Amino acid sequence: MVLSLLLAIPAAAGLWLVTGGRALPLAAARTLSAAAVGLTLVLSLAAAVSREGIDRPWLPDLGVRFSFGVDGIAVPLVLLTAAIGALVVAHAWVEVPEGGTPATFLGCLLLVEAGALATFTARDAVLFFVAFELVLVPMWVLISRYGDRHDDHARADAGHRFVLYTALGSTLMLVGILALVTFAGTSDLRELAAGAGASLSPDRQLLVAALLVTGLAVKVPVFPVHTWLPPAHTIAPTAGSVLLAAVLLKMGTYGLVRLPVATVPDGFARLSPVLAVLGVVGIVWGALVCLVERDLKRLIAYSSVAHMGFVVLALAAGTETGLQAALFANIAHGVVSALLFVLVGGLKQRWGTVDLSVARPALRETSPRLGFVLVLGLAASLGLPGLAGFWGELLAVYAAWAPADNRPRALFVGCAVVAAVGAALASAYALRVARRVWVGDVPDPEAGTTRDTRGVEAVVLTTLALGVVVLGVLPGPLLAVTADAVARIGGAR
Amino acid sequence: MTDPALVGVDAVILAPALLPALAAVLVLVGDAGILLAGAAALALLHDAGGGPRDTTVTTALLLAAATGGAGVAASRDLGAWLVTLELATVPLVALVALRGSRTAAHGALTLLVTSVTSFALLVLGSALWLTATGDAAFAADTVSAAWGDPERRTVLVLAVTVLLCGLGFKLSLVPFHAWTPQAYSTADIGTAAALATMSKVSAAAALLVVASALTGTGPDAGRVSVVVGIVAAASMLLGNVMALRQDDATRLLAWSTVAQAGWVLLPVAALSTSGLRASAAYVLVYALATMVAFAAVARVGTGPLARFRGLLRRDRLTGGALALALLVLAGLPPGVIGLVAKVVALGPAVDAGLWPLVVVAVVAVVLGVAVYLRWFALLLGEPAEHAPAEGGGGGSRAVLMLGTALLVLLSALPALLLDLLS
Repeated sequence: MVLSLLLAIPAAAGLWLVTGGRALPLAAARTLSAAAVGLTLVLSLAAAVSREGIDRPWLPDLGVRFSFGVDGIAVPLVLLTAAIGALVVAHAWVEVPEGGTPATFLGCLLLVEAGALATFTARDAVLFFVAFELVLVPMWVLISRYGDRHDDHARADAGHRFVLYTALGSTLMLVGILALVTFAGTSDLRELAAGAGASLSPDRQLLVAALLVTGLAVKVPVFPVHTWLPPAHTIAPTAGSVLLAAVLLKMGTYGLVRLPVATVPDGFARLSPVLAVLGVVGIVWGALVCLVERDLKRLIAYSSVAHMGFVVLALAAGTETGLQAALFANIAHGVVSALLFVLVGGLKQRWGTVDLSVARPALRETSPRLGFVLVLGLAASLGLPGLAGFWGELLAVYAAWAPADNRPRALFVGCAVVAAVGAALASAYALRVARRVWVGDVPDPEAGTTRDTRGVEAVVLTTLALGVVVLGVLPGPLLAVTADAVARIGGAR
Repeated sequence: MTDPALVGVDAVILAPALLPALAAVLVLVGDAGILLAGAAALALLHDAGGGPRDTTVTTALLLAAATGGAGVAASRDLGAWLVTLELATVPLVALVALRGSRTAAHGALTLLVTSVTSFALLVLGSALWLTATGDAAFAADTVSAAWGDPERRTVLVLAVTVLLCGLGFKLSLVPFHAWTPQAYSTADIGTAAALATMSKVSAAAALLVVASALTGTGPDAGRVSVVVGIVAAASMLLGNVMALRQDDATRLLAWSTVAQAGWVLLPVAALSTSGLRASAAYVLVYALATMVAFAAVARVGTGPLARFRGLLRRDRLTGGALALALLVLAGLPPGVIGLVAKVVALGPAVDAGLWPLVVVAVVAVVLGVAVYLRWFALLLGEPAEHAPAEGGGGGSRAVLMLGTALLVLLSALPALLLDLLS
């Protein structure tokens, strides 16, 4: 019951807002969405505690069941999605982008949240695919209708790139899922994980793993299929960027854990060297681009590519530590990137552009609270101990240093070293941003001061900042939640 | 009772009792689809008007075509199959000529030449089939006997190839698709809708009659799969690429038909019973969504896509229905039934290990998303200053509402359709 409501409330409210209630005035639409996400947040906590499931026949002909449930791997992501959903709706009090009615905008946010929740709770492979596709159209509307109004062409281009890349990835994943279901004879993810691909010959495992990994790599995104991400992040409205970074990218890594790692561990092991190298290339590539990128929003997007590289590297290592690191880094990146995107979106709203080459007065002087949050976010992003980013990346490098027995050790050690260098590069670009924005370039008495954050925006930023600190100081509870479920996954040994 | 056509008519009447369970289900569901599509096309034609005599003739022609379609789905006999298939086609040629603009005569001529060529090929194919199997019926047991003998097998493969070419004209498969855009854009909208839905379901039913006999070829049906697969792949790719370049709503729908015909053929390439079922499910979903799209075009008016700009704000019913139909055709939620149809269609191909075809299908999905989202984006846009007023009478409104209701129902409960076919 709890889980049904958790999925139904944002979906129903979102659907109504984009169809029947499109013309609803802003205040009413905002109140309705806030009630929906608030209820969803409460229900997500209840679902995390009760851990009940739904199980009904859906397509009996194909043996596909309408089966949802939460386990240790899903719980943190469900909570993160519900929390981020609440924050992006709250952000509508700060900024509602133009491009359509406010009700449609909020409805799309709710639909993305509903789709992500369904993805994280689906216990059937085909159902997982359908849920995965649910977020596509609303997110495309958010980018191509509500995105940056400066350049119509760039907006359409970013929307198309997002939807076409993702459609390619998810269709490849579908082919992988269909092959897996054919070979293994069931589409129940729990049974598939329990079987751990034992019924598949090594070649079939490799085939299924290759299809699944290629498909999901687009969503994560893994270098070199990351090129849809920077335009999408840059163009999307603040709420869209936050959802994209904090929730949608997680669907990719979550899919990697649920599908190839759990169901065809041996096939995944044979692919893991490639994946590890691509992850490390992503880390270094993302960091290098960040060193020269002028648009701050795009810079944060590239730093996402680098952070996701750590997650992929940890997954490829194949140990329990690696899985734990990946899941932790996933959540940490969700919170940190949400914080940075809310902040940079706010700066863009104030300044009109976030071009780093424009000389501006020091943020720490004009608006100290924004300045403090910026420094906190950057510090977390570069992996400073005591903040959220630290544990995920430390554990990822450690996992690569000591990979599972069936991985080539020398290669992984090399990857660990390069990843550590990438982490150092991360501090270089974080400091570059801090110097340009926080310290300020030229003290310009003519420039108007930037309005400091207050009201709802301050609450959103404070919540996220608290999340960053709590995850950094007390990583134990989160690691404990995922530990049991990770131990049961076939890939970890 | 020696006339093969009469034997076929017997089979039509007694179909559910005589045929194996799966075939009977396909016949019933296929006939229901054809009749529904016929009724919807009639409603659109009625909207367009015409004198009382004109309406009578139109109705008679359309009913004749529906009879042919219903018959071909149930026929197992070569003669009955040929006759009913032509009965499903020829009245539509007359309809194009009668109902369209002045240029339609040209379109009707192309269509006539095409359908005569197709008929010739089908007769040739049937003759080869008879030679190979020694049986004037589509039956799995004689096919498997013929498949065992290398020489007869060669003739059978040739027969299938020729039959597929003949059916390719009717289903608008590449390379037999060229008449489609011209006929659609010169005929009036109701006729085009009948061509795109009723005629396609009839042709798919005819295809499934042949394919269900071919499931008797056993596991090493490689050569038949290759022939079918190449045609399916070419249709999906070319149809989508050309649809991407169209600026006219009817022409876009015509090329979309070509692409979707490839999807109908895709599961058939697996030559398994689940493939046949998937193909039937796909063609029904396609026909339903396409009919809704045509009804929306009938209300807005044919012409450049720009006419649809901001439709969602100008006219919620038409805009919403068209948006849902496009998403179903693209296979994106909330058009869940379109997505499920694609999953079901890909399943047998993956099952049979037809990897090159599956790869093409993946590319086709992406291209298709681009095609339909391009139109969908226009619906979402701001309305133009001097937007044309929406016309259309009760007929198109009824088709829109009924079609959308069915799409919504099937998207919520996709099992309804799949259960019907199992």
